[in-house]
Amino acid sequence: MSYFRITLLRSAIGLPRRSTDVLKALGLKKRMSIVFHPVSPSIAGQIMKVKEIVSVQEVDRALTKQEVRLERKPDPGYYIEKSGVAERNELSGQ
Amino acid sequence: MFKPTSALFSGLLWKTPWRLSAPQKARQRKRLRAVDRVVDTLSAALARNGQSTKAVERWYAEMPREEEMLPKDKYTIFDKKEKTYRKSIHKLPKWTRVSQRVNPPGF
Repeated sequence: MSYFRITLLRSAIGLPRRSTDVLKALGLKKRMSIVFHPVSPSIAGQIMKVKEIVSVQEVDRALTKQEVRLERKPDPGYYIEKSGVAERNELSGQ
Repeated sequence: MFKPTSALFSGLLWKTPWRLSAPQKARQRKRLRAVDRVVDTLSAALARNGQSTKAVERWYAEMPREEEMLPKDKYTIFDKKEKTYRKSIHKLPKWTRVSQRVNPPGF
């Protein structure tokens, strides 16, 4: 089952009430917010109402809120070394 | 030196250029392509499930794609009050967030 990953790129300020309501129905509250919805004709119809202000991707699974946040996390630029014993235990545990 | 211009004579006067600049036109094309891309994504995703929806079908039946449009239609819109029946598209309210691609019949 695939999902639509919908990002609100432009705000709906000043647009008809209909567009604002569609965004609310989709769960998009502010710019750059991301929601996932299963691929279905009704969701596609809703996206068509606001197609000028969103971007859409088709993805295999819906990410959780934490996973979406982690995508934005920058690379820390370091990694923590482990002692040989800890690493060996970890490998043997797998 | 005082130069009598309409901007100095009246208090608040905003002057909107009558035509779009080249970067404005480039961004307009980019937005048109972005809308095409959204519709393509929807249509492809639904087709994979063997589904379809009226809004998408209607869009494909009625609306030209960005590369099929004439420059005239990309950057200007019909206006009955203009002498040439065309005015620049940035006169259209919310023009960066609405789809305006086709002309009334006969124009």
